[in-house]
Amino acid sequence: MKAPLAVEAIGLERTYASGHTRVAALDGVTLGIRRGEFVAVMGPSGSGKSTLLNIVAGLERPTGGTVRVDGEDLARLDEEALARHRSRRVGMVFQAFNLLPRFRVVDNVALPLAFSGVPASERLRRARAMLERLGMSARADHRSNELSGGELQRAAVARALIGDPAILLADEPTGNLDSANGAALLGLFEELHAHGQTVLLVTHDAQIAAHADRTVRMRDGRVVDA
Amino acid sequence: MRPGDLLGMSLGNYGRARLRSSLTTAGVAIGTALVVLLIALATGAEDNVRRSIFSIGDLRLVTVQPFQPGANGLSAVPRTISDDTVAKLRGVAHVDGVYRQFDAPLGMVVEGGDDATIRPQGIEPGAPVDRGDLLAGRHIEAGDHAVAVIPGNIARLVAPDVGAAVGKTVTMRVGGAVKLGSTRIGGSGTPRDYAVKIVGVFDEQASQTSFRIPLDDALLAGAENRGLTPQSVRETTGYSGLAVEADDSTNVADIVKAVQELGFSSFSLKQVVEQIDQGFGVFKGILAGIGGVALLVAAIGIANTMVMSVLERTREIGIMKAVGASPGDIRALFLAEAAYVGVFGGILGLALGLAGGQLIDRIIRQLNPRTNPAAIFVVGPELALGALALALGVALLAGFLPARRAMRMSALSALRYE
Repeated sequence: MKAPLAVEAIGLERTYASGHTRVAALDGVTLGIRRGEFVAVMGPSGSGKSTLLNIVAGLERPTGGTVRVDGEDLARLDEEALARHRSRRVGMVFQAFNLLPRFRVVDNVALPLAFSGVPASERLRRARAMLERLGMSARADHRSNELSGGELQRAAVARALIGDPAILLADEPTGNLDSANGAALLGLFEELHAHGQTVLLVTHDAQIAAHADRTVRMRDGRVVDA
Repeated sequence: MRPGDLLGMSLGNYGRARLRSSLTTAGVAIGTALVVLLIALATGAEDNVRRSIFSIGDLRLVTVQPFQPGANGLSAVPRTISDDTVAKLRGVAHVDGVYRQFDAPLGMVVEGGDDATIRPQGIEPGAPVDRGDLLAGRHIEAGDHAVAVIPGNIARLVAPDVGAAVGKTVTMRVGGAVKLGSTRIGGSGTPRDYAVKIVGVFDEQASQTSFRIPLDDALLAGAENRGLTPQSVRETTGYSGLAVEADDSTNVADIVKAVQELGFSSFSLKQVVEQIDQGFGVFKGILAGIGGVALLVAAIGIANTMVMSVLERTREIGIMKAVGASPGDIRALFLAEAAYVGVFGGILGLALGLAGGQLIDRIIRQLNPRTNPAAIFVVGPELALGALALALGVALLAGFLPARRAMRMSALSALRYE
């Protein structure tokens, strides 16, 4: 049985020019992630794993090759369409949480919906429901700078999921968490995965990668072991 | 993004750096207030000038003067306005009427104990000068002889009130020495007395010295003063002037041209008004420019504030882009924030300008209770709306570059910004 691909990368390249030297962050990455899969991309720092994630997230454009997310060729999207891709097709969780400190947690979670034009009352209703689902209701009306690291990352996951994305992307999500909170977050990812959520997680830690169905190893911009 | 969300979010951003936003807004307010005040002052002055011009007379009127075209002061070369001139002018297109006028030599009226200097003005019935300004009696009519329509101040010299003056006969002395107090101010020839019956009294605001008398009476008085016949006066000296009435004030320029082609100089309020309008246009432009400099300074303040705002919120811009804000959303957010500065500054500035104008008006009137213009500062709806639009426009312009910078920021590098 082969589920349709959530992510399909073919010969993906990303080079950075700095002065006269060119650095290849991605050097021909070909990779497929099926819907419903929980995949960890693992590699040392500088292996290109974050670049891969950012390209899938639509935060960065490849310099070569093709990438399709949920069937959409990202190269064909202009800036506005790429913004819609970020708000609807993917949800991103960062190592640094990246919540807006002056906003309430519920407003942070609802923010992506504002950019896709959902009315305010509907946004808040959905954001509260999402926080409820992740066990964060009690913190909904706190400002995000009043939360602990574990809570912040949970709120960030809620924000990533609010647009019901085809794929949840996480870049070292446990990097700023203690081991207990880290384990809880990975538990959450597994639970989401069990409910059918496609997850693509980037890490340098084999123990974390072990939570995934499959681990893709990268080194020097190439996939060394899928 | 929905407009409501956009405005709400940028209002939050505007209110976040409260001190900075209010200082920038104050800058816009001062600039706007200055523009409003200066233009209101110029408009007030223009209104006053125009009002006094309209009170002087009719815009349809062209006065023909017995000099060469373009005459002024000492360079005036006399030209004779004859009946032939009148006939030619009557044939000019758009001319509704031509009224001859002959000024007899200065004289005085000797009545009631006081001597009053007068200017006997011979006019035709229906002449523009003799219209609609009566306090009592009637105007000069066809077939009148030995009658006069006189100013209210002189009427009150010869009778207890203007009404009682009508019907009275007074002695009009034409020529000879004319004195104002003990100073001789003019007069020519030998004085000659004429008995005239007062048929009307006009409001002395028009003139305090002129005696409106029938044209033929004036010609006779002028001729007798110089020992000539009225006929030879008509032919050699000619009339003192003509009042040419156009069918519409828009045709005045054509008539002025025709008068010049006939070899005479002319005067029309319409042309004066046009020149005044032009002058005030320049004047307003200069004042608006001065106010504009203040607004320019305010604009630089807005740009500076917005650059700071963009820089401070770099990370936030990165986050918003990462969760789906489009470049247009980001630009709109910052432009809307600048627009708030413009709108609040504009409203505040307009209020400040209106209040300032009232205050200055009150102070001027207190210092000089005889200040006569109805309003020193005039703020019409165009000026009010224009000032608001200007403040908003300046703010949007000032916000444009910072907003574009925010829009073009790379989401990734913005997220890494500390």
